[in-house]
Amino acid sequence: MSDFLLTQIINYGAPFLGAVVFFGALGIPFPGTLIVIAVGAFCKQGFLSWHTTGLIAWTCVVLGDCLSYAMGYYAREPVLRRFGSSDKWIKAETLFQRWGGMSVFLTRFLITGMAVPVNLLAGTGNLSFRRFLAYDLSGEAIWIFGYGGLGYLFGTQWETVSTFLNNVSGFLLGVVILAIGIWLALTILRKNEETKEQVPEL
Amino acid sequence: MTRARQRALIFALIATGLILAGLFGLRSLNAYREFRVHRPPPAFSADSQTVETDVGLIRDWMTIPFIAKMYRVPPPVLYKALGIPSQGNRDKSLTQLNEEYFPKVPGFVETTIKAILLVNIEIPMPTLAPSPVP
Repeated sequence: MSDFLLTQIINYGAPFLGAVVFFGALGIPFPGTLIVIAVGAFCKQGFLSWHTTGLIAWTCVVLGDCLSYAMGYYAREPVLRRFGSSDKWIKAETLFQRWGGMSVFLTRFLITGMAVPVNLLAGTGNLSFRRFLAYDLSGEAIWIFGYGGLGYLFGTQWETVSTFLNNVSGFLLGVVILAIGIWLALTILRKNEETKEQVPEL
Repeated sequence: MTRARQRALIFALIATGLILAGLFGLRSLNAYREFRVHRPPPAFSADSQTVETDVGLIRDWMTIPFIAKMYRVPPPVLYKALGIPSQGNRDKSLTQLNEEYFPKVPGFVETTIKAILLVNIEIPMPTLAPSPVP
């Protein structure tokens, strides 16, 4: 997959990169980070112009994110009908209102594997579009220009950078899942203890 | 959600998290060791005087025009060495060319290209400063 995409990027340039990051933002599992770093290196080598390529990629990835946000937004009605009145949903929505912006921002470049679920949740969880867009634009700017910049800096050695960053992203995803698991375990444990305390002693 | 299901979910989350963090943590460490060895290479761009000479950077997803530009060798030299026409082959990767023209010899195109580049890369010689007039 990566090899095919890289060949097509050197053949068709920025428009092809735009399509890759757009569909990647919709959930198609393209190796986006690797491609962005490689494109940075291609710009350094003079195959692509960094500003045009960067702007096209940035616009396309933000459009893709907005579309997946819209999918979540329009799926809100049936979700609300099903879960809207539950305490857990209200709690989750409040939590997302508080931390949603930061999760949108961080999943653009750090834990990229969670980007699409977070987009859908942002749409469903009623995170305002303006806030979503602001965090999305800044996060994606770091992904495109920061990661692309690393590819530009390292030129022909971009593969080393890409391997390192992909592994770090996978590691962080693991840490996040582990943290959620521990947090859930602690919450349930605390609840159980509270229930025990409430039971009157005979 | 029943208690058994809650426990199963928590167990699955913790196990997945541990496996991912352990696996990618080790891989990150190895990648970091390699990353530390590399430093940004000297400036190499279309307008600079530096020429890429490391043929080990050639990958089978590259196309001949891409390689020609990267190593500053005229594309016809590479097509001629392979004995294939340039027309209709500009967009094809080395893998595709190999499968199409030399299916019985895997890696033939890549090896040939590397050999031809080693012969044809023009390494600019440093210009000598004029000798001082006695």
